[in-house]
Amino acid sequence: MKYLMLLSVLLPILSGAALPLWRFKVRRSREAYVLTCVCATSLLVLTLLLKRPEGSMRLFPLTSTLDITLRLDGLSGVFSGLVAFLWPLSSLYALEYIKHEGGDDRFFAFYTMTYGVTLGIAMSGNLLTLYLFYELLTLVTLPLVMHTRDKRSVRAGMKYLGFSIGGAACAFVGMMVLYHLGDTSLSFVYGGFVSDNASERTLILTAYLLCFFGFGVKAAVFPFHSWLPSARVAPTPVTALLHAVAVVKAGAFAIMRVTFYCFGTAMLRGTWAQDIAMGFAVFTILFGSAMALREQHLKRRLAYSTVSNLSYIVFGVTLMTPAGLTGALSHMVFHGVMKITLFFCAGAIMYMTHREFVPELTGLGRYMPVTFAAFTLGSAALVGVPLLPGFLSKWRLATAALEAGGVLPLLGVAALLISAILTAAYLFTPVVNAFFPPAGEGSHGLEQARDPNLYMKLPLFILMASMLALGVGSKGLLSLLSRVAAGQL
Amino acid sequence: MNDYILLVPILLPFFSAFPIYIVGRRSKRTRDILAETAGCAEFAACAILLALALGGNELTLAIPNVCGRGIYLKLDCFRAIYALIAALMWMMTTLFSREYLAHYRNRNRYYLFTLLTCGATVGVLLSNDLFTTFIFFEIMSFTSYVMVVQDEKPGAMRAGETYIAVAVIGGMVMLMGLLLLENRLGTLYFDELHTEATTMADVSELYLPGALILFGFGAKAGMFPLHIWLPKAHPVAPAPASALLSGILTKTGVFGIIVLTSGVFLHDALWGNIILALGVVTMVLGAVLAVFSVDLKRTLACSSMSQIGFILIGIGVQALLGHHNTLALWGTGLHMVNHSMLKLVLFMCAGVVYMNLHKLDLNDIRGWGRNKPFLNFCFLMGTLGITGVPLWNGYVSKTLLHESIVEYIALAPSPGIYRAVEWLFLISGGLTAAYMAKLYIAIFVEKPVKPFEEPKKWYIGTKSALAIGIPALCLPVMGMFPSPLMEGIARHMQGFMDWESPDAAVKWFSLTNLRGAAVSLTIGAAVYFLVVRTLLMRRDEKGVKYYVNRWPTRLDLEEILYRPLIQRLLPFLGALVCRVLDNLTDWTVALLNNTVLRRKPIPPSSDADFEPGDFTPQIKRSYTLQRISGSISYSLLLFGAGFCAAMVYLIIILISK
Repeated sequence: MKYLMLLSVLLPILSGAALPLWRFKVRRSREAYVLTCVCATSLLVLTLLLKRPEGSMRLFPLTSTLDITLRLDGLSGVFSGLVAFLWPLSSLYALEYIKHEGGDDRFFAFYTMTYGVTLGIAMSGNLLTLYLFYELLTLVTLPLVMHTRDKRSVRAGMKYLGFSIGGAACAFVGMMVLYHLGDTSLSFVYGGFVSDNASERTLILTAYLLCFFGFGVKAAVFPFHSWLPSARVAPTPVTALLHAVAVVKAGAFAIMRVTFYCFGTAMLRGTWAQDIAMGFAVFTILFGSAMALREQHLKRRLAYSTVSNLSYIVFGVTLMTPAGLTGALSHMVFHGVMKITLFFCAGAIMYMTHREFVPELTGLGRYMPVTFAAFTLGSAALVGVPLLPGFLSKWRLATAALEAGGVLPLLGVAALLISAILTAAYLFTPVVNAFFPPAGEGSHGLEQARDPNLYMKLPLFILMASMLALGVGSKGLLSLLSRVAAGQL
Repeated sequence: MNDYILLVPILLPFFSAFPIYIVGRRSKRTRDILAETAGCAEFAACAILLALALGGNELTLAIPNVCGRGIYLKLDCFRAIYALIAALMWMMTTLFSREYLAHYRNRNRYYLFTLLTCGATVGVLLSNDLFTTFIFFEIMSFTSYVMVVQDEKPGAMRAGETYIAVAVIGGMVMLMGLLLLENRLGTLYFDELHTEATTMADVSELYLPGALILFGFGAKAGMFPLHIWLPKAHPVAPAPASALLSGILTKTGVFGIIVLTSGVFLHDALWGNIILALGVVTMVLGAVLAVFSVDLKRTLACSSMSQIGFILIGIGVQALLGHHNTLALWGTGLHMVNHSMLKLVLFMCAGVVYMNLHKLDLNDIRGWGRNKPFLNFCFLMGTLGITGVPLWNGYVSKTLLHESIVEYIALAPSPGIYRAVEWLFLISGGLTAAYMAKLYIAIFVEKPVKPFEEPKKWYIGTKSALAIGIPALCLPVMGMFPSPLMEGIARHMQGFMDWESPDAAVKWFSLTNLRGAAVSLTIGAAVYFLVVRTLLMRRDEKGVKYYVNRWPTRLDLEEILYRPLIQRLLPFLGALVCRVLDNLTDWTVALLNNTVLRRKPIPPSSDADFEPGDFTPQIKRSYTLQRISGSISYSLLLFGAGFCAAMVYLIIILISK
């Protein structure tokens, strides 16, 4: 079973790398190849989740104590399960979408490789392995961000590269402190492996903050968020999957690992480091929503919304209680599903009508009913309308915050709710405009607009169904997540 | 023990909504029949539930595994009665909708969202856990938005904007309150709220969550200062939807406030005073606005607001009176029931007017109701009921409320304030009489300015006539037999609000009670003749009197305060701060690039641009020299040379000595 872990990481990487070698002449055969690889990997992950291998798998040693290790624990399971669910849908969508971008071979090569690297992050058994895959993720997604190769996308790519590498460097310093003061194997242990000694306290807390902000770059914590809205120039499947799910969640995931599995919450709780980290998270929640509200470009608006929602997750983590982590994990899963829906809709609108700005959507609802039904459902879910998943995770986060007590968590709850109001403002405006256009407006040049074909609609249907299912019947999932968060899995 | 029958009235509308929508795209006739059937089935289901509840059964339902925290429902008499009224209103308005909406577009959408709202509303009324209440409450808020904007005219869209904004903000503030309350009490279960609250060491900790939840429920109930959506949304919505919004949706807010008052803040004087104060302001403001209004449906909407104020006063007094609050309890419950029934009749009458004339301005519809005895009768019943004339239903509940205020004056530490409340109560009753007289006289008594085109067929269909006539007949029947009917309802409803048993029988038509009504009616007549007929009317050039709205249009809380605050000031500040912060990192990078990290331009190679007879190459070469002469090593070299020279000079001097 252990080798399956390696296989699930390597299969997409190798098959992605091999994709350009095949020199596909027919679009169909490339589609078949990509879908087969992606689905096979997802099946592998599913098998792994159902029969979870115990223990870790050492790949090769670096020093006598430090090695590259893969391991599948509860937290890995949540992240890899989420990724494995969304990747096939997103690939299906990308197959159609990329038709109007071109460069299919290059795109799918890196797209498939990213899958493997993300799984690598999920399944890494120690901080060094995580760091390795984290850097790889930056490199392998860079060509995707710069896919259109015009001036804007190259600039966005450079920005992304600069922010990510810089952040990883900060995290590296933190990692060295951990190596020095804690366990030299850097293996993840629930509860952390740093012993609390008063003399080194400042050093440890500084190192934590370095790790937090270093990995926080990918989780778009203020003030290191600005690469994310710039990166919306990438093709929509990339923004949808990478910048709403894989890359940013990798950042949040790394923060979870560092907080709960390296430094340990027992030592961090109640320190100034926690206050600083939580303060930035709370601020980012409000800031992202406010920025989204004044942004008129639909994809940039969604990107800022991602900034805000990622900080919900980070906020949950910085509460440093199992309940907080449960909230964070549930929002990680739910936000993935909700945001990818919204991005898919935005992409479908761009693909079918070449409209990118919010005011241009006026009156489209009648012509693209499926797309806008999905958009409405996704918006309502993200706002936190009951019966839909966003509400549950927010409820969890808020109760966890109130349980933790204190002023900052209380402010955080207020921020969550204000942000929900802002979310309603920035997402319902396009919905209302699309369905209820002001009289005499909005039907110019729309006669040709219609829903995209099945490749793009099928993922939307599946996502809508899963949102409803998650909203109504996720008690089991939530209790599973709370067991993960308590370190029992 | 789960009684799944409780799910029937909630899921029936939910699950019939979508098939009706799909059928409606094929056949409008089938859709209408199906929608009416669904309405009647809903009524039947609620009637069965009421029969069960009256039989002494207490049905509960707990489904802990859905929606994260579970759904908890319960049926007692109060809930059953109110669910039945909700179902009755839905049935009647659906019957009426068919004719009213005949010329509307998007009727499928209307039926879809009305049914969804119906299910959610019954869900709110049956809930037994504040979390469950919240879930259904939010669904109701969002689905009813579509009912408000059914017209899609600019006015409707703007009112819809206000409505959804109030609903979203109210919902989120309420959520914050619920979270805090659960954190403080450890439960949101209705039956446990009271026991947990009494065991709290410090009750003052509950006021903040209480206030936040009150904000949310109050926003839906139309309580001051969150009433702004109410006078805007009701006039623009189709008449059946207005009846529902006014008769039932506002009552869900009241339901929530009752839960808070009878659960968390049972017999809490401070809480009672807050509710009472807000209720008084809502009551007076609504009545004054209604007197000024010259639009039929707007008057009725403002009247709704005012009547909600009456109900809130009842809730407030009930908390103040403590253990002897039976009268206030009865008054609150009965006024809720009465107001729902009254507004059902009145809004549907307004719907008949609009359906025929497509106008609502009193000057345009003046005199249309003459020689239409059926409509006249229905509207008159509503008018007499809401005004509180003895023998009609409004009298009963208003008398109870009045009596309870009087009862508290005797007990209050500072009776002066409550005496003022009593007078405001009577004056508002008078204003009610004044604005209803204004409507009635304008439509049914005054002569039309120019004769109306009489329709070819009768102005109302049989089914619609039944839908209006039956509830209209109920009003005097309820008022004439208060002891068996109203008291029965009140006794059954009481269990929900308190656990005390009633202490005395009420003498409905005693002299003191009749005197209150007489005072109100006198004030009403005075206001009508001295204010409405003189100050609020003007003569045009032909000498014909017409109604004018003297209320300054600028004086609107929404336009003065809320919209500028939310649409101008906060976005401006937010955008300013965010824009600066958003670019902070980028600016830092740019600053560094231009200062510390600036790359020097590569100097052009010297020989490339040499031209004969040009001295620049020499100068350029000297540029290299300049660079050497400017360097630190060069200056060190020169320093060394000078140092050597000085040493040699010293040596020469030493030797020469």
